[in-house]
Amino acid sequence: MAFAVQDSGKGPAAALRVSPHAERGGLKARERRVGWLFLAPALIAFVAVILVPFLRALGLAFTRYDLQTPVPEFIGLGNFHAILTSPEILGSFVTTAIYVVLATAGSVLLGLSWALILNQPFRGRAALRAMSLIPWVLPSTVTAFVWGWIFNSRFGVLNALLTSLGVIDYPTAWLSTSGGAMTAIVITKVWFSVPLFMSFFLAGLQSLDKEQLEAARVDGAHNLALLRDHILPHLKPVMLVVIVLGVIGNLQHFDTIFALTGGGPVRATSVLSIEVYRRAFDQWDIGMASAVGLLWVATILPAAWFYLRHLLKGA
Amino acid sequence: MSISRRSFNLMMASGATAAMMARPGLAAATDVSFLSFTYAEDPNRPHVQALLDGFKAKSGIAVEPIGSAWGDVQKNVLLRERSRTLPTTAQLSERWLPAMSKLPEVVNLDDAIGRDVLEAAIDPKVLAMGQAGGKTLALPLITGSIGMVANKEVLEKAGVGAPPETLDDFRKVLVAIRDKVPNSVPFAAATKNPNSIPLDFMIMVWAHGGRIITEEGKVVVNSDAAKAALGLMTDFMKDRLIAPELDRPDSRRLFAQGASGFYFDAPQALSFARTLSGRGNQADGMVLPMKTPVLKAGDTAHSIQWGHLVIAFKGAATDGKDAAGIEWLKYLMSDEVQLSFPPSLSALPVTKTAVASPKVQNDPFFKAWANATGVPLTNEVGVWGNAPELSTIISEEVQASLLGQKKPDAAIGSMAERLEASMAKGG
Repeated sequence: MAFAVQDSGKGPAAALRVSPHAERGGLKARERRVGWLFLAPALIAFVAVILVPFLRALGLAFTRYDLQTPVPEFIGLGNFHAILTSPEILGSFVTTAIYVVLATAGSVLLGLSWALILNQPFRGRAALRAMSLIPWVLPSTVTAFVWGWIFNSRFGVLNALLTSLGVIDYPTAWLSTSGGAMTAIVITKVWFSVPLFMSFFLAGLQSLDKEQLEAARVDGAHNLALLRDHILPHLKPVMLVVIVLGVIGNLQHFDTIFALTGGGPVRATSVLSIEVYRRAFDQWDIGMASAVGLLWVATILPAAWFYLRHLLKGA
Repeated sequence: MSISRRSFNLMMASGATAAMMARPGLAAATDVSFLSFTYAEDPNRPHVQALLDGFKAKSGIAVEPIGSAWGDVQKNVLLRERSRTLPTTAQLSERWLPAMSKLPEVVNLDDAIGRDVLEAAIDPKVLAMGQAGGKTLALPLITGSIGMVANKEVLEKAGVGAPPETLDDFRKVLVAIRDKVPNSVPFAAATKNPNSIPLDFMIMVWAHGGRIITEEGKVVVNSDAAKAALGLMTDFMKDRLIAPELDRPDSRRLFAQGASGFYFDAPQALSFARTLSGRGNQADGMVLPMKTPVLKAGDTAHSIQWGHLVIAFKGAATDGKDAAGIEWLKYLMSDEVQLSFPPSLSALPVTKTAVASPKVQNDPFFKAWANATGVPLTNEVGVWGNAPELSTIISEEVQASLLGQKKPDAAIGSMAERLEASMAKGG
């Protein structure tokens, strides 16, 4: 938007005024205001949906607030002491760690492998690339129910297959063993994370200098050496971002775990997100749920800090 | 692009005004709503709709139904309480009342309807289901007990003539069903949902002569009887006589489709069998109410007191004895409702006149149910304010034993410790 310089005809001092509507701060201030205006919707949403509930949860973490105590009652560090002395809640931290490591490692390994395959020239590559995104596009709850039916003890596809192959005599309740349930939730998460991770790696591979690889091949490098000495070093920045995003995403993950196992059997898949939900909405112990939630946020912060630092450094 | 301070201030003010105006509007003062899990069940929705239509025809007041799945009702009510969007009335399972009674918005029906009116209409034992802390905080709507039902057709397929009386006989019958009825779950006990597992476990503990928590709040589950009960259930799992991953709806489906010989349920088992079998009234002969098998012949068999309640929340629609919401509750106590609604769900009515009516007294299923279940006992877990936590603890420890993660004795020991801690915190 252009502004005309007006001549008021009242001498040199008056001629310096750019407009009768000019305001303090000039153009910069106007642009800042536009910035604030654009920022306002996101800022309002952030404050209302994230900041205020978070600050409220922060306060509630130091209170007793359950069905017996309808009005929050300050108990200091009581909830945190209870967490430290509760094998069940401490177990949730271990379960979360196992889930995050397995789901992130599985997604990175399979995502990278699939990206390497889809980076090769072959007929139908574009169609396969597009189809690879289907698991990512499907709603996660649908994915959970699909895998739930695969693992179902009475009507599941897996049991039908293994029984017909003679591997098992009776249907197995996969989701009723600790190992089976954890495997199921990891497989489900990996299945719909691979397309996203693959996309990141594929983008990274597109910028790899092919002449460099050809030169290495001429020098006698085999596939593994190419991967180790050329491809992986090239993908290192992408790898870092993918791993950090994977860790954050898996630490926060809730929906497919809840839909598949509900945190069970017993507490085998009760990761922190499930633990907070169960404390808050099954047992109505909002104070304890807030305290566990606070510690849950603390586990996410290092990864988030690392990611933001990397992002800002890049910028 | 830039913008003047005046325009900026104007936009911000407009935005704030719009945001304030966009707040959810408060419901009209006389609106009556009814949050109901029966309304959310497809086969039973017409029965609730008939109640709503009947009340409208009689009083001219429309009641807005709000469907909510059975497992989500407590969540729904408590979240609505926090967001100040409580319905006028809500349907509860009797075991949820201790937790719900803590809400300050609950209407005391002794004042709203009158204790004398309630006691004149409803037997004190039934009315007690809706009482907490000496006050009547919920109106019983339907009643009955949770006991064992046998599938007569499955028993016949397994070559069993009559339901077993003792636990030893019970096991033999279960083995026969497993071996002679392919792909069946002989005893469809609840093994998945924390809301259902404690009920099955409780009846099995009673059958062994034990208890979980006394009326005084003392945890007494760490007993030989409870260990034997859990040991038996664990053996059933090992022998494939019960199955993992089963919740009550799964049990009802298996039973109705001839894939299960026994399970625990309320008298509603009959209406579920009719609907889920697809055979309607022709399925009636399949459902056989029976006494829960006991340790030795002659022991007393037990069932759990069960019922549905209706609770009212304070508001314009419940303010005063003639308020629309209170009129709705009074209508639910009328013979018109009590002689039609409970029987349509295969449950017993709550009012004295309806119970004494020939329609109920001469109903063969109700007679059989009453003979089989006798005098039901109070739910030992559900009566406490921290029932949700107690149920979770019992459920986790029972599951741990059933799935082989803990020995039954260790699971009972751990259950007792955790229950004691929970009761000490706020039972």
